Amino acid sequence: MSSGYKSWILLTGFILFYVAYLLLGALVFSTIERPVENKLKSDIQVLKEEFLNQSCVNATSLENFLEKVLQANKYGISILPNSSASSNWDMASSLFFANTLVTTVGYGHTTPLSDTGKAFSIFYALLGVPFTMLVLTACVQRLMHPVTYGPISMCRQRLGLDPLAATAVHFAILLLLVVLGFFVVPAVVFSHIEDTWSFLDAIYFCFITLCTIGLGDYVPGEKPGQKFRSLYKISVMVYLFLGLMMMYLVLRAFHRMADLHGLTSFFQLPHCDEDTEEDKEPIIEAGPEDQHEAEASAKPLDPASQTSYNTINR
Amino acid sequence: MRCPTLLALLAGVMLYLVMGALVFRNLESPKESKEHEKLLCTTRDFLGNHSCVTAQNLSDLIKSVVKAVEAGLDVKHSSTNFTSRWDLASAFFFCGTIITTIGFGNLSPRTKWGQLFCVCYALVGIPMFGFLLAGVGDHMGTGLRKAVWKMETLFLKRRISPTYVRIMSAVLSILIGCLIFLAVPTLVFKEVEDWSFLEALYFVVITLTTVGFGDYVAGANRRDGDLFKPLVWLWIVFGLAYFASILTMIGNWLRVLSKKTRAEMEELRAHATDWTQNIQNMSMDFRIPNPLDLNDPFLLQRRRWKRSTRRRVRRGALGHHGRQGVIGENGHLPNRWVSHTRSMTRLEVVRLGGGEVRNEGTRLGPGAVLGADSRVSARSEGRSLGRTVARSLSLSMPAARSVMELDYDLDPVAMMMLQGESVSLSESPESDSRSEVSSSDFHTYDMCTPGQGITFASFDASGSLCTVRGSQGGSRQVFFQEDVRFPVPLQQLPKSHNPTKPIPMSPIFSVKPMPLPMPTPPGCKMLDFFGENLAYIDESSDTLSDRNQPIEGAVSPRPRKPRRRSIRRQLPHRSPLKERRDSDMQPPSNPPTPPPLRD
Repeated sequence: MSSGYKSWILLTGFILFYVAYLLLGALVFSTIERPVENKLKSDIQVLKEEFLNQSCVNATSLENFLEKVLQANKYGISILPNSSASSNWDMASSLFFANTLVTTVGYGHTTPLSDTGKAFSIFYALLGVPFTMLVLTACVQRLMHPVTYGPISMCRQRLGLDPLAATAVHFAILLLLVVLGFFVVPAVVFSHIEDTWSFLDAIYFCFITLCTIGLGDYVPGEKPGQKFRSLYKISVMVYLFLGLMMMYLVLRAFHRMADLHGLTSFFQLPHCDEDTEEDKEPIIEAGPEDQHEAEASAKPLDPASQTSYNTINR
Repeated sequence: MRCPTLLALLAGVMLYLVMGALVFRNLESPKESKEHEKLLCTTRDFLGNHSCVTAQNLSDLIKSVVKAVEAGLDVKHSSTNFTSRWDLASAFFFCGTIITTIGFGNLSPRTKWGQLFCVCYALVGIPMFGFLLAGVGDHMGTGLRKAVWKMETLFLKRRISPTYVRIMSAVLSILIGCLIFLAVPTLVFKEVEDWSFLEALYFVVITLTTVGFGDYVAGANRRDGDLFKPLVWLWIVFGLAYFASILTMIGNWLRVLSKKTRAEMEELRAHATDWTQNIQNMSMDFRIPNPLDLNDPFLLQRRRWKRSTRRRVRRGALGHHGRQGVIGENGHLPNRWVSHTRSMTRLEVVRLGGGEVRNEGTRLGPGAVLGADSRVSARSEGRSLGRTVARSLSLSMPAARSVMELDYDLDPVAMMMLQGESVSLSESPESDSRSEVSSSDFHTYDMCTPGQGITFASFDASGSLCTVRGSQGGSRQVFFQEDVRFPVPLQQLPKSHNPTKPIPMSPIFSVKPMPLPMPTPPGCKMLDFFGENLAYIDESSDTLSDRNQPIEGAVSPRPRKPRRRSIRRQLPHRSPLKERRDSDMQPPSNPPTPPPLRD
């Protein structure tokens, strides 16, 4: 049927556009980063030459030594004189690690070393990630009412705006508040606490963390002489949770707005269901109801018959 | 989701985190300190062997090297010809990890402009990837749902309980997904990257859950594997989509399940209130000592059984059922009650276990003929109730289980025989999904037949409600209630977990004509007499018979008094077809008469 074709065409269009987007990003990153990398590499070479020249060390032994140091550094162990005796796996850090594992941020600054640790992380993640998703979704559902539905209806009543404009205005305000509260303010705080971070670094860190990308190039609380390290790490955890919730909330509000404005129907994407309709599918459908479901599934992107988009999107 | 549930979930997550932290600490700290020791040794050896190197020089060198490595350089191979790590394929892979929010981190932008661009890139790319995932997951989910549905119909044809079917299909789809997206890549990575099996599995899981530590990255060290990286990325996308759709499916099921359980729980609570009220009314009317007498052994037993039933109810094992009032015409229970209690046992047996029915049937010497054994077993929900059946049987003689109390008019309903017509039954399936469910749970049984008119009786899954059709064509509801005055232990009627459409054929089943039962067994007579005496006492609960009330399933195996309309009104989900009679509220219009003498 034409709508089925249309959805397939749209999907392939999406995929192609997505691949193009990736290629574009690759190109840009390449051109930006390569020169810097070259420079760094040559610097290191120079350093190594100087070291070798001035000392009696030969290249191979130095390389062996460096390999071991780097290996240890990969696990977060440093032999630099400033590195404190604080382990990477004390209670607060382990909690932080478990948190990054479960929220799928995954910095990678500390990773399990032992085989048992790796095996345990597998199971822990398999259980914990859906669990966390569930909790976050539940919280967001609860928050939707006071944060979204309430203000929107208030907007409509007080300001007399029509629904479309009201949702758009509300979404813009929400976005602004979230950016201010969860990006700018924490970035300022982080740039103060961490001396090596600039403001841009801190915003970059906040963004990479809250999108759960978690590259790991910037991790708070890793400075050797960090004061109140445990408290700091735990507050970063709390920030992570709240920030994730806010991101989901914003995403959901955006989805609702797109629904209202007809964008999701235009792109033939699933609709954001109301809370009351989310349990459309009974747990067991036999007979005619299953037929209906089969029909519904035969038209995959029919907007009226989809389950919630947000549940698919992580 | 309700607030307490939410708070409980939050607490659960916190506990989970703390537990994980403890385990990780205990697992990793020893290894970490060992590594530290090793490193110190190495440093000391190095410094000792090469005395011209000062510690300061060394630490400076190490610092810069570490910084370079963190920037993504590979300083191990000191080749002068420089191959950048930011070649197109790697950059493509990096963008992919950014967009899918995995974020390995083995490669990351170091320049200010790179970081700024990264932020903007991710802002646009992550939602886009979300859409893509939704679309792919949708199509995958469609195929998945179709396959699951086909599988389910296949299983349902074999009359396996729908709950099990659903669980099985969920498990199967997960397994298949694991096979394709976990096992195969693990083996591939093990071979290609030369990792151990555990490391490869670790990488696969950490990547597919988008955690992405970055300590192991596929294709990171290969310079020639330009095709490898895009393939890895494709695998990531499809794996993510597949698991997202599975999670969605399971999440939907669980949500519906929890909603139903909640609804059932609320209904149960309302029923409980109803029942207590009825008991109190009864005791007031007839000045019977507090029926909730704790010394009565039967009551004790019943209470014990009630507790376990309630536990099962809380677990959502009980299906959704409505309730109907039993109305006896002259306001008392005829002897049929006894015969039916006898046969009720049988009925419950039937209801309880599909396959067990036949065996139990033979054990019940006198008793209802269950010609419909095979059919009933076919329809039963697959409850594994051998134990309860045995228990019920052991307690049934001669005191019939008082789970069901049938009120009929003397004549027609004395014997229950199955009749073909069940108009009232088939009405309810159409009312709404819930009554569909309840009606689908009905099973028709033969009853102990003292030899009178045939009645068509069907019970809901819990056995606590029954529509009885008199031989003259009227149908009454039989109201199965747990009556405290009956000195019989309660029978356990575990309820099946209630699916909305457990058995596709069930509505048909209830309409199906049943074979006539056999002549009255001798044991029935004794029970008839016994039951008559009991029935005589139980009058206040009798209201006028409600002939045309459609059948609803009772909520719990406890037989219930006719519900008061006010309480019934509190349950909005009741089928609109259920009629409430004013007569329910009125005292029995006929004064109690002595139990009829039966031979």
